[in-house]
Amino acid sequence: MKQVGIEIPKVDVIEKALGEAKYGADLPFRGPLHLKVLRSPKPHAKIVRIEMDEALRVPGVEGVFTAKDIPGKNLVGTINKDQPILASGRVRYIGDPVALIAAKTEEVAEEAVKKLVVVYEDLPSVFHPEEALQPYAPLIHEKGNLLLEFHVIKGDVQRGFKEAEVIVEETYTTTWVDHAYLEPDAGISYLDEEGRITVVCPTQNVHYDQKEMASALSLPLDQVRVIQCATGGGFGGRLDITVQCLLALAVFHLKKPVKIIYSREEVFQVTSKRHPLRIRYKSGAKKDGTLTAVEVDILGDTGAYASYGATVAIRSAVHATGPYQVPNVKVRSRMVYTNNPWSGAMRGFGVPQMAFAHESQMDLLAQALKMDPIEIRLKNSLRVGSETATGQTLMASVGIGETLKKVKEWRDRGAISKNDSKKPFIKKGIGIGSMWYGIGNTGIANPSTAQMEIGPDGEIRLFTGVADIGQGSDTILLQIASEGIGISLKEIRLIRADTALTTDAGATSASRQTYISGNAILSAIKNLKQEAIKEASQLLNLDEKDLFFEEGKVKSRTCLTTSIPIKEVAKRCGKILKGEGRFDPETTRLDPETGQGAPYATYAFATHLAEVEVDTDTGKVKVNRVIASHDVGKAIHPMNVIGQIMGGGSHGDGICFNGRIRSGRDNLFRQLSHPDIKGYSRGHSYHC
Amino acid sequence: MIPPFDYKTPNTIEEAIELLWQAGGKAKIIAGGTDLVIGLRNGDLSPQFIVDITRIEDLRKIEEKNGMVSIGAAITHSEIASSSLVKKYGKVLSDAASEIGSPQIRNMGTIGGNIINASPAADTIPPLMVLNAMGRVVSKEGEREVPLDQLFKGPYETNLKPHELLVQITFQKLPPETKSSFVRLARRNAMAIARMNVAIILQIGKSRIEDVRIAVGSVTPTPQRMSEAETFLKGKLPDQRSLQKASLKVSEAMIKRSGIRASTAYKRPVVEALFMRAMRKALEG
Repeated sequence: MKQVGIEIPKVDVIEKALGEAKYGADLPFRGPLHLKVLRSPKPHAKIVRIEMDEALRVPGVEGVFTAKDIPGKNLVGTINKDQPILASGRVRYIGDPVALIAAKTEEVAEEAVKKLVVVYEDLPSVFHPEEALQPYAPLIHEKGNLLLEFHVIKGDVQRGFKEAEVIVEETYTTTWVDHAYLEPDAGISYLDEEGRITVVCPTQNVHYDQKEMASALSLPLDQVRVIQCATGGGFGGRLDITVQCLLALAVFHLKKPVKIIYSREEVFQVTSKRHPLRIRYKSGAKKDGTLTAVEVDILGDTGAYASYGATVAIRSAVHATGPYQVPNVKVRSRMVYTNNPWSGAMRGFGVPQMAFAHESQMDLLAQALKMDPIEIRLKNSLRVGSETATGQTLMASVGIGETLKKVKEWRDRGAISKNDSKKPFIKKGIGIGSMWYGIGNTGIANPSTAQMEIGPDGEIRLFTGVADIGQGSDTILLQIASEGIGISLKEIRLIRADTALTTDAGATSASRQTYISGNAILSAIKNLKQEAIKEASQLLNLDEKDLFFEEGKVKSRTCLTTSIPIKEVAKRCGKILKGEGRFDPETTRLDPETGQGAPYATYAFATHLAEVEVDTDTGKVKVNRVIASHDVGKAIHPMNVIGQIMGGGSHGDGICFNGRIRSGRDNLFRQLSHPDIKGYSRGHSYHC
Repeated sequence: MIPPFDYKTPNTIEEAIELLWQAGGKAKIIAGGTDLVIGLRNGDLSPQFIVDITRIEDLRKIEEKNGMVSIGAAITHSEIASSSLVKKYGKVLSDAASEIGSPQIRNMGTIGGNIINASPAADTIPPLMVLNAMGRVVSKEGEREVPLDQLFKGPYETNLKPHELLVQITFQKLPPETKSSFVRLARRNAMAIARMNVAIILQIGKSRIEDVRIAVGSVTPTPQRMSEAETFLKGKLPDQRSLQKASLKVSEAMIKRSGIRASTAYKRPVVEALFMRAMRKALEG
């Protein structure tokens, strides 16, 4: 039964199209208490005292909580735990949470927040990473303002630049971008039927949330539970803790159901952002375009807290060369604390920022050498057998060359429109950009687990901790499971992203779930089949070796008419047939000095060609068309892959033209801009 | 959180002006609320009363009388954009109304609100200026007619007293052979405030420019008529040379009124280009 590679509706599409899906803010809950957060108006200050008497006197207020009320560890963070759930003695950015209020209504909570008095003592603040590294700079965290310094060193760049006949050197800077998911961060919390503190909210990783909640409340893991609700986008912004610990803390103290909905302003102010990077980039090439060396210096602004700062520092260094073979590489990457809004995971962990730099460099080299920008990329592109900057030899699935060739065909066929003689002020041009991206976490274990079972009642169940945040993993994982067993997708019940019912699948991030959790499910199926064969051999009185599994049935090799459906096996033996699955891609740890190693088991590659027009009278720039060529491997759900590519394309358009957050000392958000709806257009896809 | 206020819904102009008179400056008028509600949420405004004028029938009419078109202050941008009367006798205004913000804003925002908010970037003001529009203002003290270009004191500031109500905007019907255009430049195509907008009305007789009216918005403290360029163009052939000379007069006037700013290096050539584009569009149209 073919389930993989076909166009089927996503399993959640009907309820979402009809508006029936329940997102965080929709969650039906009778009479919960409402939570509101008092946030710091200061970028860096000591909290001298918090006066809460007046707030407590507001009728309807049920509790005011500060750092003192957190029984466990008041620090969270995916890698470095340095971010307080409620500020403890000190605030480090405008928006840092200081106190939490629970009240009968949202209005009362808001009123009570205004009655809280916080006496601050200003501390000197710092807003630029360069300044933050100066010896006189105020310390944002006690260990210093440098979060991480990471190097990738291969060959000898000095020799490489000596061999070069042309060298180009430039500095590139990028700024904050917000994920701007449509759904505000929101959630509910209550004590479930077993008395566990249960949080239901949009998230990209329920098992991470659970650990942070347990640590904050000093409770065993099984005393807290996280259930992911329908999630209206993530893009990395929901990898960090948002509302989870606040909700759990209130229920811990009040033992009553609570609800929180961030205001739109709050979402923009207090969730993570794309890391601004300053990238100094020097590239050398021979006359024929062959790269001889690159030297890159990256300085990133992680803002007030680490979040994924370390990941971005390492990933940006590892991907600094772009999808090209470079014999001599020297990269230094530093991530620095400032009093700016905190940066975190945002679609690509720094890799898109690097693509802006390495692709601009390739264009400058092509210009200097009078070469075709596609040819120079093709000449240097990674291929099977190539060694990356970290010394990893790529053994398979290196499609960058193919994506370049496809784009070249489109261009040479004249797919790009000509200038319009009636509008001489409109000038058209094309741009080329290539990328690569390592799948999964960088040089560390990042396993996923899954279970498949069949009950004596014949129900087939898939258990996965994977959070579907709109990217379509529910459908894709069901497709993999149904094809793996050989039954129809509708016959499988999916139980997902609930810490009480499923096991850790890791985060929905780094393009990892289809690959890693998909393989974990395949491993579960393999074990389930073995289990079925074992049971069937007893039922049929045949040797296990004589039995095999095909199309949802256990069959005999010798007796062709003997075949028993897997559901039948479970029914007849009267027990649950179970298959445990686990998958962890093979990676090696990167050397701490040289960054050498094999950080990812596999990489993704792509090339885009954009037709852009400029109104030379007004300076207005418009992207007319993007031809996107991706090495996707086998598309499990082709429509979904196309949707992902188009969404990514629009995101890229936003980064170029509209995505912008201005941060200021006095007012965090001066301006926030995103592509408008007219900026999004429908695309067409072509299978090559 | 929006601070509490009394919400009044008068059904007639008389009731409305009575309420405004009694409020003694502590009232704000709401029609579409697209600007007012933002001010309330920001905490910039905390009125004691809000007077909703959308139930006053007399403010909800577009009429033609004695060679004049009159538009009630509570008429929305969408209604103007789809009015055949406005399209026929003042197309420059319906063109502008159809490009404001987004469908949601056009369905809520009103012409009266757009004028009274007095944003330098208001999209309906340059067209109304070239239409030589008049505002009818009433209050307990009586009634007055104000030419639109005399209504503004500065950015977001009008000459209206707190107890006065703008009830109607009127302009003379344009002869059928009139040419006009409206062009706007914004960072995005929708949901964005204009960075520059130009409205033009043009009468050509015997291939020469008989009458031209030019108004530019967003680049001066209040939208402005470009009288130097208008005077220069009158009687001239609408050829490239004259238009270019006129475009320099437009940018000079802009700098005279706004001074040299950091953005001038961009705005000077662009206001010239946008004026040229608007003229060409009008001539072709």
